[in-house]
Amino acid sequence: MSVIVLVEHNEGNVKKKNFEAVQYAASIAQKTGTTVTAVVLGTLANDEMENLGKYGAQKVLHVADARLDELHARAYTSALLAAAQKEAAKIIIALHDINGRAVAPRLSAKLKAGLVAGALSYPDLDKGFVIKKAVFSGKAFAYVNITSDVKVITLMPNTFQLNKVDGKATIEKLDVSFGDKDFGIKIKEVNKIKGEIPLADAQLVVSGGRGMKGPENWGLIEDLAKELGAATACSRPVADSHWRPHHEHVGQTGGTVRPDLYIAVGISGAIQHLAGVNGSKTIVVINKDPEAPFFKAANYGVVGDALEILPRLTLAVEKFKQNHK
Amino acid sequence: MSEIESVKAIKGGEFLIRETQADSIFIPEEWNEEQLMIAETCTNFLAQNVVPNLNRIDEQEEGLMPHLMEEAGALGLLSISIPEEYGGFGKDFKTSMLVTEKLGAGNSFSVAFSAHTGIGTLPILYYGNDAQKEKYIPKLASGEWKGAYCLTEPGAGSDANSGKARAKLSADGKYYLLTGQKMWITNAGFADIFTVFAKIDDDENLSAFIVEKGFEGLSLNTEEHKMGIKGSSTRQVFFNDCKVPVENLLSERQNGFKIAVNILNLGRIKLGGATVGASKEVINASIRYANEREQFGRPISKYGAIRYKLAQQAIRTYSSESAIYRASQNMEEATEMYEASGLDAIKAKLKGTEQYAIEAAIIKVHASETLDYVVDEGVQIYGGMGYSAEAPMDRAYRDSRINRIFEGTNEINRMLTVDMMLKRAMKGELDLMGPAQKVAGELVSVPDFGGSDDDGLFSKEKKYIANFKKAVLMVAGAAVQKLMAQLGKEQEVLMCLADMLIELYVSESLQLRVEKLVGLKGEDACKEKLDIMRVYINDAAEHIAKSGKEAINSFAEGDERRMMLMGLKRFTKTEDINTTEARRNIAAKLISENKYCY
Amino acid sequence: MKILVCISQVPDTSTKIVLKDNNTAINNQGVTYVINPYDEWYALIRALELKEAGIAGDVHLVTVGKADTEPVIRKALALGGDEAIRIDADSNDPYETANYIAEYAKTIGYDLILCGKESIDYNNGAVGAMLAELLDADYIGFASDIQIAENTATVKREIEGGEETDISNLPLVIACQKGVAEARIPNMRGIMAARTRPLKVVTPAAVSAVTSILSYELPPAKAGIKLVSPDNMAELVELLHAEAKVI
Repeated sequence: MSVIVLVEHNEGNVKKKNFEAVQYAASIAQKTGTTVTAVVLGTLANDEMENLGKYGAQKVLHVADARLDELHARAYTSALLAAAQKEAAKIIIALHDINGRAVAPRLSAKLKAGLVAGALSYPDLDKGFVIKKAVFSGKAFAYVNITSDVKVITLMPNTFQLNKVDGKATIEKLDVSFGDKDFGIKIKEVNKIKGEIPLADAQLVVSGGRGMKGPENWGLIEDLAKELGAATACSRPVADSHWRPHHEHVGQTGGTVRPDLYIAVGISGAIQHLAGVNGSKTIVVINKDPEAPFFKAANYGVVGDALEILPRLTLAVEKFKQNHK
Repeated sequence: MSEIESVKAIKGGEFLIRETQADSIFIPEEWNEEQLMIAETCTNFLAQNVVPNLNRIDEQEEGLMPHLMEEAGALGLLSISIPEEYGGFGKDFKTSMLVTEKLGAGNSFSVAFSAHTGIGTLPILYYGNDAQKEKYIPKLASGEWKGAYCLTEPGAGSDANSGKARAKLSADGKYYLLTGQKMWITNAGFADIFTVFAKIDDDENLSAFIVEKGFEGLSLNTEEHKMGIKGSSTRQVFFNDCKVPVENLLSERQNGFKIAVNILNLGRIKLGGATVGASKEVINASIRYANEREQFGRPISKYGAIRYKLAQQAIRTYSSESAIYRASQNMEEATEMYEASGLDAIKAKLKGTEQYAIEAAIIKVHASETLDYVVDEGVQIYGGMGYSAEAPMDRAYRDSRINRIFEGTNEINRMLTVDMMLKRAMKGELDLMGPAQKVAGELVSVPDFGGSDDDGLFSKEKKYIANFKKAVLMVAGAAVQKLMAQLGKEQEVLMCLADMLIELYVSESLQLRVEKLVGLKGEDACKEKLDIMRVYINDAAEHIAKSGKEAINSFAEGDERRMMLMGLKRFTKTEDINTTEARRNIAAKLISENKYCY
Repeated sequence: MKILVCISQVPDTSTKIVLKDNNTAINNQGVTYVINPYDEWYALIRALELKEAGIAGDVHLVTVGKADTEPVIRKALALGGDEAIRIDADSNDPYETANYIAEYAKTIGYDLILCGKESIDYNNGAVGAMLAELLDADYIGFASDIQIAENTATVKREIEGGEETDISNLPLVIACQKGVAEARIPNMRGIMAARTRPLKVVTPAAVSAVTSILSYELPPAKAGIKLVSPDNMAELVELLHAEAKVI
């Protein structure tokens, strides 16, 4: 009767957010007096799997079917169901990311299990099984109680600090017999944007708004992002004016980001934009209008012309890096 | 006066001598779901297509405004009340007013829209023959063709019939050759169809012609440089022996002046709608800024001086709006009545509109002056930013100003208000003399000190309004008697009388609206609106008193003056109320909802 | 081909959330409700485009909500669609909602079900994938382009750090985001037709919710801003390093 957690990997690497999920699962297992089983689907080296022990996983169930190297939501669902059955798991955890969000609801529907999508806390067992999550795109939080026997949770990435422990997970193969429907969707083409940091995962984000005046000035945003190792984002008017691609649009009707640092340049801070970024740990606002509402949501502010300030900030970061080598 | 006559559709101008039942008027709180959806489409259209492009519009970027007109046309917004047989939606007048109101917040776009759908389209729709309507209306309705209207000339503005433009029949009898110069022509730069007014030969009165852009002999001057509505195309249009086929004479020879006047009646009330829409948007911006801008550690919306301004912006806007939709409904009902009596739909519409020409003129003045007040205080609320050309108040302030000038200056409209009232009295259509004599009689009798036996929620305001009517009748009656034929030349007196009529009509419309609303939703849900009513009527009493006094002092002397001034005092007396507290309540709701919410 | 579009009613994006009843409910006074933007701008419009292109036959809209959601449904009908179905229940549990819709969908048999990538009120983004499971169909989330030809869907969808093109047979459930279509404004013709289009009210199937929201909380206000001179970016970097500990 363990807690199981889906661990994704990408080209042989397990990302930090997955360790976070394992650690989250381990903590819940501890609270509920059970153990954690990580489920790895597809091709992954043994030492990467053993390494999950450092975040609290006692065991890894490995479904070593190479077709699972890419997301096939129904196959993932079948594999997790098999794992859950094997472990008699009552709690299933995935990440609140693209893959997790395709798989967890299917499991929930299949198992008649309550789902909390985008968990921000450990379950409060005193009141039932109550988990905090953001609602209204971050304008509020809800405390959601799962009342079903089986529970499915997707954890919002970048919610908890990682604490490594000593440990090594044991690996156990799991054979799953997949049906045709499990691989019904054919992947025709994959385009990865090289060298860019995916926005949803980014720890640092530099974001530009209409105050950047035009797409020709975006080099300044990119320079700073490159110097910081940050992803770039933008406000809705910028995406609507086609200055930047749609996937960079952050806000209530675009993407939601929760980085450690969000630098907003020339963005006034409409309520819809704030909804998409207010999970950020630290917000820096650069705007020439001292009345811009964003300043009220910021930790640090600089009042002035973005086009003048950005090169100075980029230079300051460069110097800082040299001094802290 | 005191007996309540329950006449459902009172006639235009009768508000001065009759009482109206609250449940007989239309109030904007009664919009149905479909109308609200149409309104939302307008708001979304502005937000997506117009507001992001305001700078480009004001720079008159080539092709942008006609493109926006076509997009509005594709949504059906140019043909709301055009009959279905001509590609329109056949909606009622109130709905088209609602569209005008919502798009009124679109600055220069609103001007282009109003000109196209009003003076650009309606002369042909109302006065065109079947062939003309079939040829022009569907394309004007869809926005494929844009319309303009050429009345004003360099030497003929308010005095439109004095224009120099002339038309003469060509030798072969196939064309009118049109010669003249027209000025301040809205939409001229991109219009395809011009309705042009000119006298044929030595006629006494104007005729109207449908002129296509491509007709030989039509040319355009360069764009005028204007204080505001910079995105609206405004040019001179020259006609140099312009060849207009005889079949493009609109209506009958010498019927042009009547067309011009009737179209203006509609234009005036529509302008009222547009300015109310603009006012609401400026109030929205004012509230948002007041809530955001902090001074001395608090948002400026926490300060009484700012709250006063926000409340006053809302009070005046809500009041104008009340009058607009009351009159719109009246026009519709009168139209239906004429139709029922056997007139064809379009004649009925023209007569129904004309019936409320007095109210239309009143509304034009009140709503345009409301917008000017609203933008002025908007700039003030924005403080230093209000004076910055990069903040929204700059454009709002400049764009507002034209509204007191076009569709007949507010001075012309004030004079018309009184003039039409008196003419109707003279023709026997409106019995002003009886009630006026009755009031005069009241002056020498013992004043009625007894309180009203009606102690309902609106008893005081109803009494005040009944008294305002007496005040107007007293001053107007005396002015007519004293000045006789000279009254027309005593423009200062006419202005005073018009101001009294305007305050009366708007006060009454507002009171009836709130009364009807309380009946629908209960007193608790209407607290702020009751405050709006009380403050407005309180202030209206003072305005009426001041205007009345100025008029009386100009033409009466001795005992007569004293007696009338005493009467005026009695007729404009209101109980003292705490207007400061009322305005605070009105502002508090605006501030908490962060938008115009009445 | 029959398309079902799932729409939900949500507070307008400019809504400021206010709590009531000891933080157990959202105060809906003065709140303007709209169609969830992802449902309206992308899912619904794409369905209508497919119909206009002659690829889809009927487009049905479904929502789970009480009578107060009808103005929003008719607004959706004003954009287009042949028929709307309101499942007469109030739910914020995605499992319950998905079951209601699935039970109805089974009675019609849709080839394609489109929904938004998530609703902007509860941000679960779960109903689409649940529906797919309940209807034994495939599901593609975060779609940015949908092409349908001969019972086959070609869908571009977001993946981590890029984009993938998937090919799937129908029936299929797709959750849509930006790129799938361009938002439209309802035109007069559509608004006038909305009244005449059928709006069916359906009794919900017997399903129990498996989650419940016990209470809400508003985010804490930021402690106050520290302003840095535009001439001293080194100071800002130092603050981010030493004080905020983010670089």
